[in-house]
Amino acid sequence: MKSYTIDFQPLGQRGECREKESLLDCAHRLGVGISSICGGRGTCNTCRVKVISGTLSEPTDSELEALSAQELGDGWRLACQAIPSSDCQIIVPPESMSTSQRICVEGLEATVPPEPAVIAYHIRLTAPSLSDQQADTNRLLEALNEQYQLPCRHIDINVLRSLSPQIRDWNWECQAAVRDDEVIAVSPWPSQQLGLAVDLGTTTIAGYLVDLSSGQTLAVEGTMNPQIDYGEDIISRINYVVKRPNKRAVLQKLVVDKLNGLAANLCSEVGVDVEAIVEMVVVGNTAMHHLLLGLPVKQLALTPFVAAAGMAIDIKARELGIKIAPGAYVHLPPVVTGFVGSDHAAVLLASNTHQVEGLTVFLDIGTNTEISLVNGQGITTTSCASGPAFEGGHIKHGMRAARGAIERLRITGDVIDFQTIDEAPPLGICGSGVVDAVAQLYLSGIIDDGGRLIDKHPRVRMTGNQAEFLLVDQTKQDGHPEIVLTQKDIRELQLAKAAIRTGIQLLLETNGFTEEQLGQVVIAGSFGSYLDLSSAVTIGLLPPLPLNCFRQVGNAAGMGAKLALISLAKREEGQAATFRSRYIELATDPDFKKIFIETGHLGRYWIKNNRREMLENG
Amino acid sequence: MSGELTKAIADLEENEALRLAREKLDSGEDPKSILEESRNGMEIIGNRFSDGTYFLPELIYSAEILKEITEIIKPALKEDAQAKTSGKCIIGTVAGDIHDIGKDIVVFMLDVNGFEVFDLGVDVPPQKFVDKIKETDAPIVGLSGFLTLAFDSMKETVEAIKAAGLRDKVKIMIGGGQIDEDIRKYAGADAYGQDAMKAVSLAKGWI
Repeated sequence: MKSYTIDFQPLGQRGECREKESLLDCAHRLGVGISSICGGRGTCNTCRVKVISGTLSEPTDSELEALSAQELGDGWRLACQAIPSSDCQIIVPPESMSTSQRICVEGLEATVPPEPAVIAYHIRLTAPSLSDQQADTNRLLEALNEQYQLPCRHIDINVLRSLSPQIRDWNWECQAAVRDDEVIAVSPWPSQQLGLAVDLGTTTIAGYLVDLSSGQTLAVEGTMNPQIDYGEDIISRINYVVKRPNKRAVLQKLVVDKLNGLAANLCSEVGVDVEAIVEMVVVGNTAMHHLLLGLPVKQLALTPFVAAAGMAIDIKARELGIKIAPGAYVHLPPVVTGFVGSDHAAVLLASNTHQVEGLTVFLDIGTNTEISLVNGQGITTTSCASGPAFEGGHIKHGMRAARGAIERLRITGDVIDFQTIDEAPPLGICGSGVVDAVAQLYLSGIIDDGGRLIDKHPRVRMTGNQAEFLLVDQTKQDGHPEIVLTQKDIRELQLAKAAIRTGIQLLLETNGFTEEQLGQVVIAGSFGSYLDLSSAVTIGLLPPLPLNCFRQVGNAAGMGAKLALISLAKREEGQAATFRSRYIELATDPDFKKIFIETGHLGRYWIKNNRREMLENG
Repeated sequence: MSGELTKAIADLEENEALRLAREKLDSGEDPKSILEESRNGMEIIGNRFSDGTYFLPELIYSAEILKEITEIIKPALKEDAQAKTSGKCIIGTVAGDIHDIGKDIVVFMLDVNGFEVFDLGVDVPPQKFVDKIKETDAPIVGLSGFLTLAFDSMKETVEAIKAAGLRDKVKIMIGGGQIDEDIRKYAGADAYGQDAMKAVSLAKGWI
């Protein structure tokens, strides 16, 4: 079989490309991070690379559509379409790299009395003798019963395998970690008992190393979900697995390896061995949950969107390939539906749902946005397809919230001020930047409340049939191109925000409430934390409540996972709330379309009787 | 002057469009040509929607204007001229998918372009398409799907049409989310379109 050598610059990674393998597949196999929102179908235009030398397959229809003649002439290709036919040198531009995104790990710290699933007991055993030949294990179980009145029945096989030599080394004194009626680990007395809470997101993973006896967080780390190379959004990733069933194990292994790396990093930060972790809790959306467990995912993406497993799952970490204490369990709280995962349930838990006063909406904004309405004990949940615009997808110069992304923007007359992540030179615009830009264009009268670019502002121009607004001029340094916001970009944002506002409105309507009755809106998640609330209200993404009614709680899903790790009572509370919540499907609601059309409009307004009631800009 | 009505509709100038339509009718112009001019305006609206200039409310507004114009000229139209002339189309969102905003826009654009459209709704099982083809003899079928996994449903629908012995009698177009040439081949459709105006031009080309 023929193969070629591909040199990926500026990373300097070099490797063999197999016959008929696309540049993207080759890059992923070699561990070169090229982003691919659509999962390699040639539709998203995010895997643009530049060919410096070598020959490749002729441009496909997708490439002819995505790239101009000049770009093609300059050597630009879509990595998912181009198949090398010789050795090649390729440049991966920064905007095509699936580089690390800013990850939100902080959230409101909640304090609960520690009441973990795994409890450590200090044990002293009497040494055996010829007159007392009882087995080591029985000796341990008997001691637990005698010293703590704990009738344990099981001992993990790994404990059995190591107990005898260890207990002799430790001179018949040890610490036994007990979960329900099973001894899952023994260690020298005294040792730290740690737990790991994980928020497994589609894009990012946040891990929290916690001392189970105090409930204190010892170390925190955020990292990218490595599955991102196989489709950035949930649907693309599900599709990838459905089309290539043999890859399910590959995706599972990727995330397991990453979790192992995360555990190792966190432990080395506090100077302990990963075996000190005796319990792990993982929350995530239903697709990530299923992919981690190796459950089928196809039915998640098809109506009526049903999860394969909906109960809480406790599984030995080793069965998933996760390397913590050999007998430890991973606990996965129940998911709500195919589109509402245990991460949203964790958000509700972290936000102390049962203590919420007044009518409260919880939002977790992403490609798929989960919304819950909480009123006293009642929880109604829905999810809406808000699309990738808030993550920079389907936006001409959009990008994820990574270095160089415009995240804040203000327009004063002809002057545009903006702030980029890490104050790096601008590479593109991320979700919070797009929201700001549209709000500013609207306030400046450059677009009308229907979202149309109307003004003859010097920065408004036509490219082909399409109007666009020039946000950033071309810069000479690095040859970075200019950054624009097109009329279509504005339409994408309008569709995305209309989906969310319609979701809020229909949840309220179903429960007999109006927007004005809302006491609080809690916004969780990474995008929600960096969102400018006043811009969000200006474009009608959120209802025009006083700004102090909104609470941006950061990574509440991670906080909820931590609570479920520290406290069994919280674990049960979260589970009860999940089973109590009522899910409603929006798309079939007869008012959906009317409200969707209304909420596509920009401006500050209430929705009343399915119509907008405009307020002054303020 | 010809073209004024087209422009008034395209620019969503309701009063002006209605005034022009009445004026033309009163001055004895053929109602069919007034209808034709109105449809030209709708085509411009469709293109403006494609490039983002217009959005959903404009599309709905334009439909209202067209409806009013049709009401004005209806009494003057002969029975046969009132009938949809361009041809018949069957449209639906395939099984497993419930997205209908894009599909509704396609239905609307085909409708204003003179097609008689049978809209089967969402989550439509393959057999329902087959039954409708038998019932109406429509030569064009449009399958819509937003979810990536709807592509399998499209394929199954095309296969059901084939199994019923109707594949040679219909042209099948697909559209929705991120559809491309590979998916067209996979589904076994005749063509695909990225927006509603493409659906109209495909359908026109097949009649």
